[in-house]
Amino acid sequence: MKNGFRQSMAWLHTWSGLVVGWVLFAVFVTGTASYYRSDISLWMRPELRQEAAFSPEDLARAAEFGVAHLQKHAGNARTWFITLPSADNPVLDLFWRTKPGTPPSQAALDPRTGEVSGLRETKGGDFLYRFHFELHMPPIWGRWIVGICAMIMLVALVSGIVIHRRIFADFFTFRRDKSAQRGWLDAHNVTGVLGLPFHLMITYTGVVTLALMYMPWGVTTAYKGDNQAFFAESGQITAPRPPAGRPGTLAPIGPMVREAIATVPEPLERLSILNPKDAAATVVAVFEEPHGLSHEHPQVAFDGVTGAVVEVRQGGLKPAAKTFTTMVGLHEAHFAGPALRVLFFLCGLMGCAMVATGLVLWSVSRMPKAGEPAFFGLRLVQALNVGTVVGLPAAVAVYLLANRLLPVGIADRSGWEIRAFFGAWIIMALAALLRPHRRAWTEGAIAVAALFVAAATADALTIGEARFLGFDTALLVLAALFAYAARKVSTYAPPQRERRSRQDSPALAAASRQPAQAFRTQKVLNEA
Amino acid sequence: MTPIVLLLTIGLSYVGLAALCLGMNRHHSAIFEARPDPRRALLLRSAGWIAIGLSFASAVHFEGWAFGPVQWIGGLTAAALLVVGILSYRPGLILPTAALVLPVALAAAISI
Amino acid sequence: MNAVSSRRAEWTTRLAVAGRVVLAAGGGYGLAALSTALLSLVLPLSRAEAVTSATLLSFALMVGAAVYVFAARSLGRAAISMAVLAGILGGTLWLVMKMIQTGSPA
Repeated sequence: MKNGFRQSMAWLHTWSGLVVGWVLFAVFVTGTASYYRSDISLWMRPELRQEAAFSPEDLARAAEFGVAHLQKHAGNARTWFITLPSADNPVLDLFWRTKPGTPPSQAALDPRTGEVSGLRETKGGDFLYRFHFELHMPPIWGRWIVGICAMIMLVALVSGIVIHRRIFADFFTFRRDKSAQRGWLDAHNVTGVLGLPFHLMITYTGVVTLALMYMPWGVTTAYKGDNQAFFAESGQITAPRPPAGRPGTLAPIGPMVREAIATVPEPLERLSILNPKDAAATVVAVFEEPHGLSHEHPQVAFDGVTGAVVEVRQGGLKPAAKTFTTMVGLHEAHFAGPALRVLFFLCGLMGCAMVATGLVLWSVSRMPKAGEPAFFGLRLVQALNVGTVVGLPAAVAVYLLANRLLPVGIADRSGWEIRAFFGAWIIMALAALLRPHRRAWTEGAIAVAALFVAAATADALTIGEARFLGFDTALLVLAALFAYAARKVSTYAPPQRERRSRQDSPALAAASRQPAQAFRTQKVLNEA
Repeated sequence: MTPIVLLLTIGLSYVGLAALCLGMNRHHSAIFEARPDPRRALLLRSAGWIAIGLSFASAVHFEGWAFGPVQWIGGLTAAALLVVGILSYRPGLILPTAALVLPVALAAAISI
Repeated sequence: MNAVSSRRAEWTTRLAVAGRVVLAAGGGYGLAALSTALLSLVLPLSRAEAVTSATLLSFALMVGAAVYVFAARSLGRAAISMAVLAGILGGTLWLVMKMIQTGSPA
């Protein structure tokens, strides 16, 4: 590392990128899918169909149904969450938490009758969304791992910018007709550089969404560690009301819903009922975000026992708090309409591609010469690459496929969907270990393509409704992409010499004699 | 309105980035079999920056200072991806597509 | 160079790299944490705004520190600069907290 700034940054970029690459790829894929979280959830609950809009009266009645169900089934829970129905998502979703650390229980009711709905049990898009930042681990573990990987990704981005000496000269350059290494480096550079504003934004704002968990020390010194007090004082939540410790009776929820709707113009999204059996019970009505980049939900808090309004939170954030909520808003992109959402999705895919090409580049540039055996580290990285880059998409496809194929009534259905997801991933990763490297890529990509086709076909055969045509088409497009990749890998032959059509161009010939500096330093370091 | 503004942003960015890339020796000679002479390069580059500047200005004008820059970056990224894709798979199409996109973008601007 | 000494050199390099990794992660986080704690108390903003600004800033600081540790000429030099910075931040934080304690006997 005494070789100068750029060399040490090249080293840092290579190794920081490698150690977190596989986790980052999973985070990027599931995060990118989460831009369509509600569409995935709708697809996975095909029994739900769009309904007429819900009037305030309908919502009040639905909330009453929800509370009645929770009183009966979740009497000793500390918190109840009721997601109210909307025309696009006409279901009453209930969650409750009994103890911190235990997974929440849930139920879905028909908002018009209060009966348990006949929907298939599934976690839908929420599974991918939570996987994006918790990796299906206990939240504390998952969030710390993802956060650490995100910080290392920031380091990799900064060092990547430093080592890319020809960032402007190579801005548009993607040489497919040179060596494999050249092509992968160009692909890594193009996806990294063109998507750079997005990559920097999404990584930094991603860390910021869980900032207080990762960096609680400001709250420690200024608020003696009281997170709730900080959030309330910065205007992001209504003031917390600690339980009184005496039993109390929850007032009827209907009038509170009506009053909340009359107070705030945005649509009512959900209700949180804290300490529902306590004398200091609190009902918080949370509304959709008003049009804007910032992630701030208007909220109205009620005294749960008297039913009186305690607090109304609507706008009025100070600059730093506004910066924080805008960063969170940019990360989640709730504000994006269909057109802009496509662009966010595209940028997310570029992030996936940047991570994947970086991982492949590591192994390609360490490929042994003909006749030499591959060293263990290379074999490991190669297998992990295949296992992640085709394994995870296969798992997503199987998750969707399981949703259509598992019988609707079976016990723990959503659990089986998730087991199918991980089962597929494990099988793909093991297959990658057992097969020769190139074959593993081809067969893996073909398997992914086949699985996406299968998911779309299963939908057409079991549900077959026109409203899912767009979603199924997207699955087929993904399948086509993987099929194309499989074809590319299987027909690829390393170029023996440069193509003649290019050689008559002096500038090109000059450019080809001049390998990118970053790459050269990387080589130097590897050999050192 | 957003989709049309995005169309305008992507169109102007595409024209701008295409001009910028044609103003570079390597890409110019890949398409025209010769380096651009200095005047031509300067012209292409300034036209490129002007088009990109216009795409930013129009995004901010129609969408405001909050959404404008966000949509502009999204559109610019998409346009850059298009330029790179076309440049490496069908380099001959860069000029015709840019010529085609310009009137579409202008029509979008008028229709807003 | 004989085999033994070259192997020793290799191990020294590896240890130095491991040292940088530890310093970048631990030292970077430590510096960011100290600066967040301190700025939350001293920034001339309302309490909530100061905490928010300090926390938002901390991650950029940590990235900067990590990059610096890997860019520095030697591990020792990086460790000394990080320790000096941490000492200044920690000392100031201690003083500020002392003043708050004596200032408000709550």
